Amino acid sequence: MNIHIEKLRKTFGEKVAVDIPAYTIHSGDLLGLVGNNGAGKSTLFRLILDLIKADSGTVRVSGTDAEGQSVDVNVTQTEQWKDWTGAYIDDSFLIDYLTPDEYFRFIARISGLNDEQLEEEMSKYTQFMAGEVSGQTKLIRNLSAGNKQKVGIVAAMLLRPKLLILDEPFNFLDPTSQSAIKHLLTQYNRETGATILVSSHNLNHTVDICPRIALLENGQIIRDITNHNGEAQMELENYFEVK
Amino acid sequence: MTNYRLYQLIKRTEALKNERHPMFERNRFMKFLGWFMYAYYAALLILAGVLLGLGLKSDCTAAYHCLDGGLLYLLIIDFWDRFILQETPAQKAQAYALLPIRRSFLMKSYLLRAVLSPANMYWGFFLVPFGLVSVVPLLGWGAFAGWLAGYWFLFIFNGLTYLYTRALCMKHMLWFLAPLALHAALVCACALPDQNIFRVPFILFMNSFTRWNVLPFLLVAVLIGIALWANYVLQMGIVYNEVGKKEDVKIKSTSQFTFLNRYGVMGEYLKLEIKQWMRNKQVRTAFLCALGGSLFFCLMLYFTDVYDGGFMKSFICLYVYIVMGATRLITIMCYEGNYIDGLMSRRYSIYELLRAKYYFNTLILLLPLLLISPLMFNGKISVWMNLGYLLFTAGVLYPCIFQMAVYNRNTLPMNAKLTNSNSGTMTQSIISTLILFLPIALEKIGIVLLGPVWGYAPFILLGSIGIATHRIWLRNTYRRFMQHRYENMEGFRASRT
Repeated sequence: MNIHIEKLRKTFGEKVAVDIPAYTIHSGDLLGLVGNNGAGKSTLFRLILDLIKADSGTVRVSGTDAEGQSVDVNVTQTEQWKDWTGAYIDDSFLIDYLTPDEYFRFIARISGLNDEQLEEEMSKYTQFMAGEVSGQTKLIRNLSAGNKQKVGIVAAMLLRPKLLILDEPFNFLDPTSQSAIKHLLTQYNRETGATILVSSHNLNHTVDICPRIALLENGQIIRDITNHNGEAQMELENYFEVK
Repeated sequence: MTNYRLYQLIKRTEALKNERHPMFERNRFMKFLGWFMYAYYAALLILAGVLLGLGLKSDCTAAYHCLDGGLLYLLIIDFWDRFILQETPAQKAQAYALLPIRRSFLMKSYLLRAVLSPANMYWGFFLVPFGLVSVVPLLGWGAFAGWLAGYWFLFIFNGLTYLYTRALCMKHMLWFLAPLALHAALVCACALPDQNIFRVPFILFMNSFTRWNVLPFLLVAVLIGIALWANYVLQMGIVYNEVGKKEDVKIKSTSQFTFLNRYGVMGEYLKLEIKQWMRNKQVRTAFLCALGGSLFFCLMLYFTDVYDGGFMKSFICLYVYIVMGATRLITIMCYEGNYIDGLMSRRYSIYELLRAKYYFNTLILLLPLLLISPLMFNGKISVWMNLGYLLFTAGVLYPCIFQMAVYNRNTLPMNAKLTNSNSGTMTQSIISTLILFLPIALEKIGIVLLGPVWGYAPFILLGSIGIATHRIWLRNTYRRFMQHRYENMEGFRASRT
């Protein structure tokens, strides 16, 4: 799916959270979004997901849907794009009085996946969940922050979305799980050609997996870096002064 | 920082909490209506004070003796009134529990605020005019001041016993029955013919306040001191328990409710409704309280003639129907505020959720129907009234209350004990009051105009239309919710704990 951002602006009082004149994320891109706290990463994701209202501007999603039909929609005008979009921003995406399995089943069934398809999909995340998520009789609210994060990520990927948005996916995860999610994302991108947007404060992980990185500062995309063979590392380190 | 400045800071924070609540400035008219209702209630109390002060003169040796003799009733009414809005210190202190503020100081501050609360002086609207026309002319201004001060002390003590009971209810809901049983026993004791054992002692007790005797003041002050200490110990324990609580819900079995699979996507949301009710203390407690209240009223109506009046029959029938579904639905979407972003990321999820909520709450009406059926068979409630209120609730009240889905924007915690589910929701309180009394007014008009059987025909007709067209008005509600989605999501996020 292509994402076209045009004259998108969002302010909170005096503070400009997002101000992007024009930006296109192409179908199949694995885009990393980096920036300091308050740079506007989460706000941009929420605007793309129509979870907050933009002061001005539009976000359009275009491409080919699951039925092979050509689509081009403004995310505020229709809900159609939600069928091929998976996202996890924070735990307000989780229904915490369900067990992880109940939550996955809920997501699958409301999206038309039957139990066999669900089981098949879930098998792809066995290693990532490391036996601590699926098969538990614990409610989500009683899970650790890391395991909640895993539930959110798996639920977002469960329906094989054509557009996947993950905010800080490496947060709370142990090193093994961080490595696992990196593999999962690159493999998923390669296999499905899905557009993936990932924000992170972890420059190493972002550089490792994202061929394209957008650097945000005060709501503006100040650099759009092509990152093949890790050449963005130096540029980002210079910007963040972490030599 | 000095203790005084810290106390002032906490006071200011409390004020800001209310002012900045997402529901606070939601609707200026409702805000005005809320204050208007407070003022109206105060005006009624003033009027009652003057009229009773003048009217009771002829019956007793002095009007204030009649009031003093009935002190028990006044304290009981005051006690139960407090359940509507007053929060406990433990509920408030919870917000600061992890901040570097001494919890002991915090608790003492809140208890001090409870003592100085204007709620303890609200009865002044009644007592001041009453005393002016009954105490002042007979005993003078000094006695009047002593008499008022005595009442104020007693209301403070009453407020602290309320706080203690409320805190116990947080530990276990059944503690709710303790004051209920005590008050019922006291009222029964007072109701025995010529055996009101409390009347004379209370008159003498209140008389001693008019003479500024030190002893009664000292006695009440000691009682207040004991109540403060008891509250301090109990509420501190509750805050500690809540902060350090571990896994709260152990799932023994994870039922799939497979019989709901046939209803597709809506069936999945129905499962959510059921699990929300089963696994969250706040939701479950509200429902069980409603069920307990309904059972109590039905049993009273069945076995006694206390509520045999026309108004009370209508009230009980309506109450039983609305309390389990409608009153809960006033906070519709407020629990969903906890995971609203997840819901909004799915296509049409809000519409399916609203449908599930409607079916679930309509099915719940079978429970009141079951409770009321025996009353139909013994002739206390007519079949038409029962049918009328059943259909009216599902087909008229529900569509009205579902509109709250468009306007509610405050997230309610689902599982925390230390919360006041009504905080900042004056609109919701007003709607609760309206749905409790407006249908009765309509029923009475219907009966006057059309008779005791046909009077319910409009209820049955309108209710049936509402039920038959539920998909239309639910879709309309969904559409309007989507139009307000940004403001609502913002409010849900801001009020999430």
